[in-house]
Amino acid sequence: MKENVASATVFTLLLFLNTCLLNGQLPPGKPEIFKCRSPNKETFTCWWKPGTDGGLPTNYSLTYHREGETLMHECPDYITGGPNSCHFGKQYTSMWRTYIMMVNATNQMGSSFSDELYVDVTYIVQPDPPLELAVEVKQPEDRKPYLWIKWSPPTLIDLKTGWFTLLYEIRLKPEKAAEWEIHFAGQQTEFKILSLHPGQKYLVQVRCKPDHGYWSAWSPATFIQIPSDFTMNDTTVWISVAVLSAVICLIIVWAVALKGYSMVTCIFPPVPGPKIKGFDAHLLEKGKSEELLSALGCQDFPPTSDYEDLLVEYLEVDDSEDQHLMSVHSKEHPSQGMKPTYLDPDTDSGRGSCDSPSLLSEKCEEPQTNPSTFYDPEVIEKPENPETTHTWDPQCISMEGKIPYFHAGGSKCSTWPLPQPSQHNPRSSYHNITDVCELAVGPAGAPATLLDEAGKDALKSSQTIKSGEEGKATQQREVESFHSETDQDTPWLLPQEKTPFGSAKPLDYVEIHKVNKDGALSLLPKQRENSGQPKKPGTPENNKEYAKVSGVMDNNILVLVSDPHAKNMACFEESAKEGPPSLEQNQAEKALANFPATPSKCRLQLGGLDYLDPACFTHSFH
Amino acid sequence: MNIKGSPWKGSLLLLLVSNLLLSHYIHNLSSEMFSEFDKRYTHGRGFITKAINSCHTSSLATPEDKEQAQQINQKDFLSLIVSILRSWNEPLYHLVTEVRGMQEAPEAILSKAVEIEEQTKRLLEGMELIVSQVHPETKENEIYPVWSGLSSLQMADEESRLSAYYNLLHCLRRDSHKIDNYLKLLKCRIIHNNNC
Repeated sequence: MKENVASATVFTLLLFLNTCLLNGQLPPGKPEIFKCRSPNKETFTCWWKPGTDGGLPTNYSLTYHREGETLMHECPDYITGGPNSCHFGKQYTSMWRTYIMMVNATNQMGSSFSDELYVDVTYIVQPDPPLELAVEVKQPEDRKPYLWIKWSPPTLIDLKTGWFTLLYEIRLKPEKAAEWEIHFAGQQTEFKILSLHPGQKYLVQVRCKPDHGYWSAWSPATFIQIPSDFTMNDTTVWISVAVLSAVICLIIVWAVALKGYSMVTCIFPPVPGPKIKGFDAHLLEKGKSEELLSALGCQDFPPTSDYEDLLVEYLEVDDSEDQHLMSVHSKEHPSQGMKPTYLDPDTDSGRGSCDSPSLLSEKCEEPQTNPSTFYDPEVIEKPENPETTHTWDPQCISMEGKIPYFHAGGSKCSTWPLPQPSQHNPRSSYHNITDVCELAVGPAGAPATLLDEAGKDALKSSQTIKSGEEGKATQQREVESFHSETDQDTPWLLPQEKTPFGSAKPLDYVEIHKVNKDGALSLLPKQRENSGQPKKPGTPENNKEYAKVSGVMDNNILVLVSDPHAKNMACFEESAKEGPPSLEQNQAEKALANFPATPSKCRLQLGGLDYLDPACFTHSFH
Repeated sequence: MNIKGSPWKGSLLLLLVSNLLLSHYIHNLSSEMFSEFDKRYTHGRGFITKAINSCHTSSLATPEDKEQAQQINQKDFLSLIVSILRSWNEPLYHLVTEVRGMQEAPEAILSKAVEIEEQTKRLLEGMELIVSQVHPETKENEIYPVWSGLSSLQMADEESRLSAYYNLLHCLRRDSHKIDNYLKLLKCRIIHNNNC
């Protein structure tokens, strides 16, 4: 009996349990509050996710308390937010205060609680999307067409009092395009789009966000068809202009290609080379100096002697009529070259500081050759001295180690271009000049013209000027180098002492007073100090006009002719000619080497120009 | 907009708008600073639970919704803002000092703290200037809440120290948002007559 009761009880229990298990009824699973949002900072809603419901109807309740309060509250509104939600109305919503809430799920079998959630309304703000998105194509008459986009803020947001601040963003794209074009619109509720593809169908959307919070969802898309004539007139015009320009450019290019060089020369005419009136380059090449020179209007241009024999003083022969003097080294810079000027130191050619007519000037050297120094540019380019650079430095530069020559090209200074500093450079320059002269004059001797020689001398002297005493020496040498072959009354100043250049004849010394316009040297016979000198009887006058160099003899003998009494000739001797280049160099070297120091009193400072009184040198020779 | 005789001259309105920009900027910085700190040191560790009731400015009776804000008058509103700003002078100063003195001071956080401290000073000056112009009768020595969390920032126990920093940054983020919202309310009220 007892056994029956016990087993029956067990059986019933088991049956009951079975029934329960078969039904799957369990206490509810743990719910979870997964999201809370406030669309306007005045209300907010929280949503939870239920756990397993255990197969039984489950009740959910949300309870909360707030920071600084102890009282527990239950959710005031389970409906408004939808299922499994809790909505907090205005009176239940506070900013800047933490809510601590949780959800309780209860069913027949039991209940379970969610985790506590700490929520501050301040940081859960997300508005609804903007409303009433309107898109319109506007094509005003005078202005460019555009797309006009307009919208309204979502409802229930208080912008007027400033409680809420909204910022907007729009996006649009052609229907088939992959990427959106996004524009930030700030706080405004309208927007203009200017650049659109005509004939396309566009989608437009807008969204918003609070000043501190989350972006809303995008509004539903609005479609708009852009008319085909949307393109602006401006664009059409610009396109036409561009096309036209392209066509014109093509035509020009084609024409140039066809015509080729002739067109180029038409547009860019070649720079004319320097021209000397009456100068015939061919004659120069041939070496017919006489013809050449006569063509140029010279008469009997005698060959100069060795450059050392030339004038002591720097000569500047200015032929103001002739503006076509060539610069030695550059065809392209014709007329800047030698402009002979008066030797009178007071006469400034007016060409600026660089045009100081003194080779001895430290600043700028500017041996202005006389018109007789013509240099065939072709000839110029022949120097064998590799050190010679034709890139004459046309600048007025200091003379250290450099001797200015011609200024080579449109530099501001008409200086002799400066070869690279090297001992040989001057020589090379010299040699160039001499070369040319020689070629021009032929074997008769390079028309180391007065100025040419003078130039060289200037170079030397300038070089020496640089070095002070050394300079004086050079000067001395220079002075000494003037030979006067003449036995006439050509009072060339030629302190001769130890000229390395061969035959030193007793010569008369003259002082070059000045060079006048026509290229005539005005010479002063030095009678005072040269009493012991053999003097030409026929030269009592103080000032004789020796008009011209009558010719070149014997390879560097310059024959001077005086105008009214064209008898007196001064010949300058140069040393025997070997090969011009090296000889010139040697000579120059020797010349330089042989200079004794110039007595200081011989240096006359004249307006910044150093002139050596050649008379001084006579002392040293005797 | 402005009643004749109102002290709100154009320059003051400009100053108000300028202060508003400052407050907006300061909150952005505070928000970023908090996020960075939390992400790096305290995330998921429940520090929020200890931050409840931890702000030193909670003793101030500040409006917490739109209706309360509408009811407060302009003068009180301005004074309130000034009080909150004044109360943050010291905590910000110590925040910078302490973070700077940390081993391996987090540069991002430090730089923001420095910037916030500086801009808050400027904002306070701007607001005090407005108050002196608009409500010159306001007494200078208004009471403001005092922060006493320095010792917490210097605690040896890391958990406690982290909690102290968390609370400080949490409260800073909140109060800077509050000030920004108040100024935006004031702007619409004063400049646009509640018709922004």
